[in-house]
Amino acid sequence: MGSSKHKKKDKKKRHHSSDSSDGDLSSKHRKRRHPSSDLSDVDVSNKHKKHKKHHKKKEKPKDKHTKYHSSDDDVIFVPPPPKISRSEVRTPPPPSLTPPPPPSISSAADSLSIDETNKIRAKLGLKPLQMDNKETTKSRDDGLEVIAGDEGEFVHKPALSLTEKNKSDKIKARIAEKKEKRMIENKILNVKKLADSDSEEDAVSWVKKTKIIQDEMEKAKKKAQELEEMDNVFGVGDLIEESTKSEMKNFYSSKHLKGLEVQHSMDEFIEGKEVILTLQDKDVLAEDADVLVNVNMVDNESYKQNIDRRKQRLNYSGYDELEEMDIDSPSVVLGKYDEEIDGLKKKSFKLGVDEYKLKRDTIKEKLKKKLNQETLNTTQLKLASDYYNDTEMSVKFKKVKKKKLRVNPLKADKLERSLLLASNNAKENDLDDIDDVLHERPMDTYNMKMENEEDDDMGLQLALKKARKLKQLEKIERKPDLADTLIKTEYNDNALGAIVLNSTAEFCRTLGDIPTYGKAGNREEEEDESLMDYDKNNLKQEHAVDSDESNDGWREVEMEKKLIDLKTIDSKPILEPEPDLGKGVAGALRLAMSKGYIEKEENARPSASRFAHLQAKNYSIEDKTFLAEDDKLSRRDRYSGPTVEFREKDGYKPNIKLDYIDDDGHLLREKEAFRYLSHKFHGKGPGKNKIEKRIKKAEQEALMKQMSSTDTPLGTLNMLQSKQKETQSPYIVLSGTKSTHQNHGGSISKTKIG
Amino acid sequence: MIEITCNDRLGKKVRVKCNPEDTIGDLKKLIAAQTGTKWEKIILKKWYTIFKDHIRLGDYEIHDGMNIELYYQ
Repeated sequence: MGSSKHKKKDKKKRHHSSDSSDGDLSSKHRKRRHPSSDLSDVDVSNKHKKHKKHHKKKEKPKDKHTKYHSSDDDVIFVPPPPKISRSEVRTPPPPSLTPPPPPSISSAADSLSIDETNKIRAKLGLKPLQMDNKETTKSRDDGLEVIAGDEGEFVHKPALSLTEKNKSDKIKARIAEKKEKRMIENKILNVKKLADSDSEEDAVSWVKKTKIIQDEMEKAKKKAQELEEMDNVFGVGDLIEESTKSEMKNFYSSKHLKGLEVQHSMDEFIEGKEVILTLQDKDVLAEDADVLVNVNMVDNESYKQNIDRRKQRLNYSGYDELEEMDIDSPSVVLGKYDEEIDGLKKKSFKLGVDEYKLKRDTIKEKLKKKLNQETLNTTQLKLASDYYNDTEMSVKFKKVKKKKLRVNPLKADKLERSLLLASNNAKENDLDDIDDVLHERPMDTYNMKMENEEDDDMGLQLALKKARKLKQLEKIERKPDLADTLIKTEYNDNALGAIVLNSTAEFCRTLGDIPTYGKAGNREEEEDESLMDYDKNNLKQEHAVDSDESNDGWREVEMEKKLIDLKTIDSKPILEPEPDLGKGVAGALRLAMSKGYIEKEENARPSASRFAHLQAKNYSIEDKTFLAEDDKLSRRDRYSGPTVEFREKDGYKPNIKLDYIDDDGHLLREKEAFRYLSHKFHGKGPGKNKIEKRIKKAEQEALMKQMSSTDTPLGTLNMLQSKQKETQSPYIVLSGTKSTHQNHGGSISKTKIG
Repeated sequence: MIEITCNDRLGKKVRVKCNPEDTIGDLKKLIAAQTGTKWEKIILKKWYTIFKDHIRLGDYEIHDGMNIELYYQ
């Protein structure tokens, strides 16, 4: 803007210079004043009309331009800048109603004309736009406005607004309320109050009234007296009295009520209180007697009953004796169902009948009966004595008869005979064939009493039988040295004959012996063999029988077979054919083995059995596999066959002992060994302090080992003993030097106490 | 009569002639008539105040030539 102005001014300058040919154009003041001086013909003062001048300045150049254009060609026409053109646009005066749109909006905003908007408003039910300039509206008498539009006059009736309606309603309601209130207040005001005195009744009138009443009463009395006198004269009074008496007789009284039943218990009626009883409702045709009832009491009873039902009382209270004492209601089985079966029992009494007296009588009667039955004197008291009397003594306990074992003394001739016989039947081993003497003895033992033990113990009996037979065998076999057998048999007889098997004896016998199954410990070792032999013999016979019985775990192995095997082995040549050396190393090894150059490795391994105690007792790898099989049998079956024992290295039981030895030659423990190894591995030893500490520890350990277990490290016990020897006393005086100085004699007593 | 411009800044700009006694609801109806959107969908706002339908333009002090923001529900 500034630049353009300058240009203009320049133009003006030129123009002026050409026009008025002024000499000095240097100062700006002059430049400005110059045009003003030009216009000074019209305007008096410059300063006052500065503003106008400016406008004119703007307009002027245009005119002058045109002028110049026509007149002077020298001057170069510069087209006016766009700003000026804008002012030109502004120049058309905007319509008064629609203000010109602001420049930014003008292009985009779309607006309707007034007519169009009015049409729309009419459609929407709105008032037409208010025009400030025209007064088109006239108010009608009914409050609506008549609007004169372009299309004639019309009335706008505004839509019914809810808010206004609500408001008016509220106001109406409030007014109505107020009105009512006022009415009520008026009414209340009209009512006479208690304190208000009756305006009509004053003291005088009241006195008059009372006087009148008194007079009337006196008059009535007088009349009554007169009438009575008249009656007396005529004898009417007696007649009336008689009639009243007869009436009284007929009058309904308590006598008439006698015997009527009241269906409530007596306790419910409280003395001194009136209760109205009514006749209970009943069927018209029923011939029951009338029953009196109080309605309230009936209600109370039903209420109580309901509560009782709700409580659900126990059927059995545990105080049956007390219940039995109650005479009214003797105890009943399942009394709780009585109500349902028989219907409700209602307590009732009869008027005029003394119920209590009746009750008392019944109780008395019962008591009398009882008294007749029972006497009060119970059994007589006695002095208790410490001793049995005769009758008591006469009662005897049943004696258990003991069968005595008869021991037949053995005699030499008898024995001889028996032995002879036995030798004849040695192979048969049949008891039945032995002579009666021998026969008797085993029978005795067979019938031997066993105290405190179950005699049906089959195992024991079998064992005994076996032993007995064995003994017989023995006797037979050892015929040659008769003396020996004699002694032995005698011993055996004594032992057998005297045997009383009880727990203590058994225990004593087995003491010190190795406990064996099925036989007492008083046998020699040889017996074992013979027993075995006997077993063998017997087994063949019994095997078939026993096979069923012996199923419970143990099976007897037939020993005979092995013997046969041995025989077969014996039949083979003693020396094997020498292994061929030409078959390679294996052959050579075999040869060496057979010749004894190389020991078998099995023998070289010494200590497999030594560590048997270390082997797992309850758990082994086999066990584990077995358990696993149990757990998931199916899965195992899928992937692998049945488990087979690892037989290749059956005898392989390595005996390994790892010892680690210190630099100083000490045997290291596990921990220490680990430490040592780890130090070696990492190439980093323990610190100085650690080493010292460890050395100290080792020293102490050594000291501990050297220390005697009986004495203290300072040897006080030793000293004590030596001292005691010296003084020849079982004590020593502990008191120090001081005390001995002070009381020399007392020290002994002191030590005695100690 | 006053004239109000309503502009949603998405391409609709309307100049509406109305009375200051009209309610905002009426204004919305007029705007709806000009733009073609339902009047219930229109929200008129000035800064953060949403104009309520039952209140008059005069009470909101909406004057001639004011700009009101136009939003849609």
